[in-house]
Amino acid sequence: MQLSLQGIVPVPLRDKMNNRQSGLWQRSLSFTKGEYVFIQAPSGTGKTTLIHILYGLRKDFEGNVNWEQTGMTNAGNEALALLRTNSISVIFQDMRLFPELTAWENIDIKRKLTNTVTEQQANVWLDRLGLQDKKQSLAATMSYGEQQRLAIVRALMQPFEWLLMDEPFSHLDHANTEKAITLIGEVVKQRNAGMILADLDENTYFPYTKTIIL
Amino acid sequence: MSDNVQKDLLKKLLLRSQNRSRLWAAIAALCVGTTLLLLSVMIWWNFRELLYGKNQNDTLGSTYLVIGKKVTDQKMGDATATLFTPQDVDSLGKVPQVEDIGLIRSNYFPVYASMGGKLPLSTDLPLQCVPDKFIDKMPADWKWEPGNVYLPIIVSSQFLDDYNYGFAPSQGLPQLSETSVKSIAISLEIGNGDNKETVLAHVVGFSDRISSVLAPESFIEYGNKKYGKPGMTDRLSQLIIKAKDPSDVQFASYLEKHNYTTNPENLRWSRMRAIVEVVTPATGFLALLLMGISTLVFILFIELTIARAQHSVTLLLQIGYSPRYLSRFMTSRFLPMILGTVLISMVLAIAGQFAASIAVQPQGLTLSTLPGWPVWTALALSTAILVVLVNKYISDAIKKQI
Repeated sequence: MQLSLQGIVPVPLRDKMNNRQSGLWQRSLSFTKGEYVFIQAPSGTGKTTLIHILYGLRKDFEGNVNWEQTGMTNAGNEALALLRTNSISVIFQDMRLFPELTAWENIDIKRKLTNTVTEQQANVWLDRLGLQDKKQSLAATMSYGEQQRLAIVRALMQPFEWLLMDEPFSHLDHANTEKAITLIGEVVKQRNAGMILADLDENTYFPYTKTIIL
Repeated sequence: MSDNVQKDLLKKLLLRSQNRSRLWAAIAALCVGTTLLLLSVMIWWNFRELLYGKNQNDTLGSTYLVIGKKVTDQKMGDATATLFTPQDVDSLGKVPQVEDIGLIRSNYFPVYASMGGKLPLSTDLPLQCVPDKFIDKMPADWKWEPGNVYLPIIVSSQFLDDYNYGFAPSQGLPQLSETSVKSIAISLEIGNGDNKETVLAHVVGFSDRISSVLAPESFIEYGNKKYGKPGMTDRLSQLIIKAKDPSDVQFASYLEKHNYTTNPENLRWSRMRAIVEVVTPATGFLALLLMGISTLVFILFIELTIARAQHSVTLLLQIGYSPRYLSRFMTSRFLPMILGTVLISMVLAIAGQFAASIAVQPQGLTLSTLPGWPVWTALALSTAILVVLVNKYISDAIKKQI
């Protein structure tokens, strides 16, 4: 699945972007499946806005975003749901877990949508990120670090061609970051998928094929 | 199994904020609204059946009136002055309230009735006939052909009452039930002198509509032709008319203007019927209003439930759940409640109709033991509208969260 961007700019950032150079905003770019894209974005340059635009959560932008044939400006709710179930997965910066559900239930509600990951596999991945003792804890009672690891495992519970990540390790220590990078790297490779990771600073989490300064 | 886990999780996220007491209040409101709607349709239909139905309830509404020309001091000497002319009949036929006119014809041949046994009564008997469609309670064996020995006759219920409560006690004669009267054979001698014959009359029914003794038209025609006074023809002193609404002011003034008389009781009952006809649709309108309000309450409850679960709905949509899937899930939760209330209302309507059919029996009226088709139609329509509305509002409320 190819992603193409044509002159996109978020309406609230339009004036700001007119006065600075960006490697992505107001440019025409395309990304082919399997690419590892790193978006380096200083604070306030629209990193989260970009991830939300790519995931179809925001429509207040100019230009065109196309996932293969599906244009995000005109995509209907059902088409978006299909895209989010089978083709694009996301790790939100603010995690977006169900606070009233346990860690396992948060995983299960996503897993049951497609049933592509077995219960056993999901358990293994949770264990690998050190959440084995937290499965029955309510998400609301977990620390930010635990919530972020949970959000990472949840994002892997579906088939995808692209994995979008918005500061995915911002709450993790070095050891947990390493574990998460290894797990994500394995799954993305296994699925022949691509990734777009947006973060503040330069990093070498993954072997990026493209780096763009936002 | 896996589906059940998913549904349990969705239930936890979307329906946990449901307030139980509000849910029961919404269901109760819906149940009351639907039941009232069905009952009002049932009442309306039952009145219709009683007033206009093709069963044995015609005497109730008495849209049938027997009219005659008033006998005044001036007309006393002129026997033809109180007879209806063809012009009178034509003129009556043009009155908007008149739906049908029947000629009440009398015998102009001698009839002498006598009973044997414990009732040694004998008398000259005036007979009348009307077209069959004007008979309120049509007996099964209502026919006569020349040569038949048995003649069916219909007697006014009033005659039997007069006999039982007036004549019999004063003369020391036994009172008679309708069944016993039907078993009595009355010997009718028709004609006179050498030109006469005897038939055996049997009372086969009682009429509340016509206050005379009725014989089949074929018998009156036969008697008039064979034994009637030469030169005599039909003399129309009375007519029976089927009126849409005899209590109509214009119709009443028409009767008054032409000096026609009728049974004022009929007019009074018709007025009552007119009131019932106004009250029943008014009740229906109120029931419709209540049904509308209760539907609104139920839909508001659903909207409130979804609004309370707004965060979960939004997040579910963000992680890939489609609006259609969530709408179906929510509808599948509320549909059993709707169908449950509809079922309760249906049972109540069936019980109500059964009770009504039993309640009217002592009055000699007949109602079906099951609700009529309009009740089922109202039930099907209201359910369909409710399901469509609930479906639409759930779908809209979920789309609002995108």
